[in-house]
Amino acid sequence: MALGPTSQPAPPLALPGFEHFKRSWNQTYQAYAARILPGEYYVTRHDEGVYTTLGSCISACIRDRVLNIGGMNHFMLPSTDAAPGEAWAAAGMGASNRYGNYAMEHLINEILRNGGKREHLEVKIFGGGRILANMTDVGRRNIEFARAYLKTEGLKIAAEDVGSVHPRMVVYFPATGRVRVKRLRSLHNNTIAELENRYLESLKTKPLGGEVELF
Amino acid sequence: MAKSAGELVQDVGGLVTLPDVYLRISRLMEDTKSSSADITEAVSRDPAFTVRLLRVANSPLYKVSSSVDTVAKAVTLLGTAQIRNLALTMSVASSFAGLPNNLVSMENFWRHSLLCALAARLLAKEARRCDPEALFTAGLLHDIGELILFNRMPEQSKEALLLVLDSSDEMSIHDAERKTAGIDHAEVGGELARQWQLPPLLEECIAYHHDIGKAKRFPRETALTHVANIVAQMAEIDTLDPADVPPIDPAAWQIAGLSEHSIEPVVREVQATINEVESLFMGKP
Repeated sequence: MALGPTSQPAPPLALPGFEHFKRSWNQTYQAYAARILPGEYYVTRHDEGVYTTLGSCISACIRDRVLNIGGMNHFMLPSTDAAPGEAWAAAGMGASNRYGNYAMEHLINEILRNGGKREHLEVKIFGGGRILANMTDVGRRNIEFARAYLKTEGLKIAAEDVGSVHPRMVVYFPATGRVRVKRLRSLHNNTIAELENRYLESLKTKPLGGEVELF
Repeated sequence: MAKSAGELVQDVGGLVTLPDVYLRISRLMEDTKSSSADITEAVSRDPAFTVRLLRVANSPLYKVSSSVDTVAKAVTLLGTAQIRNLALTMSVASSFAGLPNNLVSMENFWRHSLLCALAARLLAKEARRCDPEALFTAGLLHDIGELILFNRMPEQSKEALLLVLDSSDEMSIHDAERKTAGIDHAEVGGELARQWQLPPLLEECIAYHHDIGKAKRFPRETALTHVANIVAQMAEIDTLDPADVPPIDPAAWQIAGLSEHSIEPVVREVQATINEVESLFMGKP
């Protein structure tokens, strides 16, 4: 037989609503992996990875450990003082938290919608670094939000790697719960900060409507 | 449009220049009639460098027993070749201050370079038959082409960094640069070394630190620089797991005459000394 490139299986079927995500074959893990950006989330019922890079943002990795369905989100809270308009400022933290709630609820609801059970959820959180030295510690706020949210929801944190000064790449396999966190060198700090800032800017121009569905 | 390394380096010609004191010492070293007194005189004409030179000569980097309080003593103890190295390394950060970029902070860039310099120096001491001080200089300069590339081709460089983050399979930054800019930082740095007429050892270490097979005259030094670059990344992100950093070319160990066992002690030592060395080399004069 001719020696060709190692054959790859076709990517597993994406769940409805996640077909547009770019997935690429990962040699190390011998699996497909979907890349998510700030503000996005991805849920799968197959043995495939989902990965992202984090500066001060947070990713929650959540799965149903019985059904092996799960996914990852990627979010941060906008700073209350940077938000436009007085009404916004008056709304304070509450308004800011809505973005975190939104990201967490979308991920959890999607898992439940696909048959997951709340009591089987396993949660891991990553990120919230302080990658730019001369900025306020927005990562800390994001970590505190995630912990408080999960506490309120009665969800325990099974593992976490948060804070510190390094950006991270997180690769998560919802089918097994396996996660690989790699610290990235400072060469990537500015690029990651810019991706996150672009997301913050988009939050300003597209405030949330009544889009959060509550199950 | 793709530019050649030669064009890129010429573009920055007026923005980065070698320090006068380095050029003066270099000329004297090529002149067989010159003496160490001439070197001393050349150094003394640069008061800012003199202060920094004496600080570094008295630092733990050089374990000299008596205090080095004159330039003449420093020249005797360290040797003229090392005085020339220091004339280059102690001012390289200010030489490149005229080439700003938005992709990496100068502080982070030079911190990685210094970690690599320290690692290369330690590895060279262990490998023997290599000049540790030359390797320190090579380590400090190994990524110098990055500052030119980031300044002259900011869009393509940014695309390259995004490409690296986009790949879960760990694309290297130099492969990404080749894809987006058609050239990588090692090639640009090598060209700068050539145009600056830096010693050929430095030119090879800079040009081939990602492709050590191409080093013909200084394969051992180039292999050490390659290993030191990875060790510096391990020190920076505080890991001893080779899977956390780009792979070390297996051939490098054989060429350098070292093994993986060297990694851990070097990571720990550069972590322990980086802050002091950073203040010596990057601090205000």
